[in-house]
Amino acid sequence: MDIAITLCVNVYCVVSDRMSGDEMNPAAVAQAVVDVQGDDRWMSQHTRFVLECKDAEPEVLFIGDSMVQLMQQYEVREHGHLCVLLCLLCCWVRHPKSPAADPRTIVTRGRECTDVPYKRAISVDHASCQFNLHFKVWRELFSPLHALNFGIGGDTTCNVLWRLQNGELDNIWPKVAVVWVGTNNYEHSAEQVAGGIFAIAQLLTSRLPKTKVVVLGLLARGERPNPLREKNAAVNGLLRSLLPQLGQAQFLDVGEGFVHSDGTISTRDMFDFLHLTSAGYRAIAKPLSDLLLQILEETPEERRASLV
Amino acid sequence: MSAEDSNPAATPTPCVDTQGDGRWMSLHNHFVSNSKDKEPDVLFVGDSLVQLLHQFEVWRELFSPLHALNFGVGGDATQHVLWRLSNGELAHISPKVVVLWVGTNNHGHTAEQTCGGIMAIVQLIKDKLPNAQTVILGLLPRGKMPNPLRDRNARVNKLVQEAVSSLPHASLLNHCYHQMSLIVAFVCLAPLEFD
Repeated sequence: MDIAITLCVNVYCVVSDRMSGDEMNPAAVAQAVVDVQGDDRWMSQHTRFVLECKDAEPEVLFIGDSMVQLMQQYEVREHGHLCVLLCLLCCWVRHPKSPAADPRTIVTRGRECTDVPYKRAISVDHASCQFNLHFKVWRELFSPLHALNFGIGGDTTCNVLWRLQNGELDNIWPKVAVVWVGTNNYEHSAEQVAGGIFAIAQLLTSRLPKTKVVVLGLLARGERPNPLREKNAAVNGLLRSLLPQLGQAQFLDVGEGFVHSDGTISTRDMFDFLHLTSAGYRAIAKPLSDLLLQILEETPEERRASLV
Repeated sequence: MSAEDSNPAATPTPCVDTQGDGRWMSLHNHFVSNSKDKEPDVLFVGDSLVQLLHQFEVWRELFSPLHALNFGVGGDATQHVLWRLSNGELAHISPKVVVLWVGTNNHGHTAEQTCGGIMAIVQLIKDKLPNAQTVILGLLPRGKMPNPLRDRNARVNKLVQEAVSSLPHASLLNHCYHQMSLIVAFVCLAPLEFD
């Protein structure tokens, strides 16, 4: 009973954007990032996104932190000056044998690649993982949906709120907005973070009444159990009860399977126990892509009308 | 007080866990234990630019075949890399080449201090791996428009270039394509030492 009361109080506080004592939830206060490093990259990225809104006609908008940003990054095939480095290295080490010689040998000799089958829907055999050069998550699943990626590494709910209020929603009418943010809200409690994410969902549904909002659950992080995992799980729990109150918003948990039975997270899924590898993105892409396709197919009338 | 003590960029310093999940130390321990059963010919060490290199296809295409290990940690400055290399990450391996790419995160340090940090790492590698060559990658420009960090990174590169010019075991590879002459020089001068 006590737990139920606590949850109701928490949910009330979150929904009303007020903490006890009527202070604003700091995680729901829009805030730009201050340039402390000296190269103004955050504002440059925001400005670029605002410009993108002028010409783009996205059906899907992704907004959030580095989890969103990196989703689009794993397909760059710029070798450039790295080839120069390779030449140098080749001179100093024994000449590498042709990788085509024996794929399975490369898998074990290289020791760097993922040699464990993936747990999710997409299975990749050991040998071909070397040479299929990876399932291209963004290009194959999300680009065809005319998706925009407005992720910025390090962003909190406050930063995302500021960006959405300052141009990143201008002139676009996406059918779906995918929100993935909250893991960087180190100064805030789970209740505050959930309130911040809810405020973002509220902003989206009020600015874009026809847009469906999908909020992705925060992933576990850190190699072993730690307080941030508990906090992120608590945020997810609160969001599950809160979001249905916004008719156009829903919660999607993509975190299943990352924490192994011994409580550890593998660098094969999160290379620094926080950011997803290509394999990690592959694992979350399928349920997300399925949901997006389902939502997009639910609005056929508007799509046909727009084509006429 | 030694020269290293007066330069924070050249003083081995671990990262303090301010976030709460101990990831920096987890990664360091992971690298140390990783190195116990591997025999890399090439070791990449540095910050996120090294770490992310491992996540792109180009790693498998170009560097895995060379038996390369990747000890990059996002956010690391020179003093963090110095600490990691002093505390086990070089203990069990004998790579022929160490590729070092660090310095862009040395916020609050001058270009001189950052160069000092890089050169302290070079010296440490020489002490622990007397037969290894160190290739230092030049710091890249950053930011959309010209800004003080670009100037600082360029100055670091210039200082490092001067510092390594007299060292047989270290060299700077800048992103400028005009450095191809450097490649040719190495091909001619050091082909047979590392069979």
